Amino acid sequence: MNGKTDIKDIVGLASRLIVGGIFIYAGYLKAVSPAEEFAYAIEGYKIVPAWLALWTALILPWLEIYLGLMLATGLFTRFCAAGASLLLLGFEALLAQAWLRHLPVLSCGCFGANGSYSLGGEFARNIALLVFAVLAFRFGTGYSLDSAVDRRD
Amino acid sequence: MPRQITPYKKIARKIVIAAFLVFTATFITLLARQMNLGPVRAVPAFRAFGPKTAEIQIYEYTDFACPACRAAHLQLEDMLKLYNGHIAINFKHYPLMSMHKWSFHAAAYADCAGEQGKFVEYAALLFENQAAWGRAGKKPAVFFDYAKKLDLDLTAFEACSNKDETIKQVKLEMAEGDLKGVTATPTFFINGKRAVGAGQLLDAAKHFDNLLKAGNR
Repeated sequence: MNGKTDIKDIVGLASRLIVGGIFIYAGYLKAVSPAEEFAYAIEGYKIVPAWLALWTALILPWLEIYLGLMLATGLFTRFCAAGASLLLLGFEALLAQAWLRHLPVLSCGCFGANGSYSLGGEFARNIALLVFAVLAFRFGTGYSLDSAVDRRD
Repeated sequence: MPRQITPYKKIARKIVIAAFLVFTATFITLLARQMNLGPVRAVPAFRAFGPKTAEIQIYEYTDFACPACRAAHLQLEDMLKLYNGHIAINFKHYPLMSMHKWSFHAAAYADCAGEQGKFVEYAALLFENQAAWGRAGKKPAVFFDYAKKLDLDLTAFEACSNKDETIKQVKLEMAEGDLKGVTATPTFFINGKRAVGAGQLLDAAKHFDNLLKAGNR
């Protein structure tokens, strides 16, 4: 038994569950709320026009749910971890430009109507999630549906 | 010779599992939406009456031009007095714009009056005179007349009515109502259970005493 590998697999599993769980939670809260609510939060970043903000608000929560679920269960693990990392990088870019432009963003929109931290707090949280997403990418295939399907044959 | 499973079959299996997960997640989320299991958005403080921790929580979707809403409004005032401290009433706007042309404006102006501490008084004027302004052909001047009557700062009142945030707040509550399946006003959610119209509100009120007794056990 390789004890060192098991620890990496456990770290990978924990990272997948953390990132996947938060994505599922955030996506769910937005998917069961009016899309306009998230759309208004997106408009606050002054990047996209109102019509595109609404389309983003309609699609992104479901993407978060599906990505989170597949990452948590370890299906197409590396692909989903990479996808989650890209999303997180995108969110960081949005937050950074809002901070640089001194935009009055009161709620990041990350968890729907639930209150959010300051821009700095949200930025820090996303950095932490990004670290977990990278760990999920590197070590997340150990205890996963991917390995269960591969081992079956 | 051992059976060889091609990588494509493994990927196909994973795709089938992924499809099942996507289907299940979609079904559960849509069911949660249908059952109103999402977070409840708070209303501005000037539209919330009663303690936040009250045993009976009522959210009302209302239209200032709706006669049934006017009747229910009076009943709710009585309930607040009767169950003082045990009931919380939160007003949400749901102007039926297809029927009442100026209801959206009325809702926005009421919020602007609320920002100056006069939501209740402004709402009372809107309800009392809904027959007049509700059917006006042109934008009623009474919205500002009521503001003058209540000694509101008219400059701030007008500025507020032109703010994006004011419009968005009303639109957001309409979208929330749509998501919850509100199609008529007044619609109430009493501790999460729907009641439509004053009649169903009164039916629900018959059980308030039991609710309070159950809470005290």
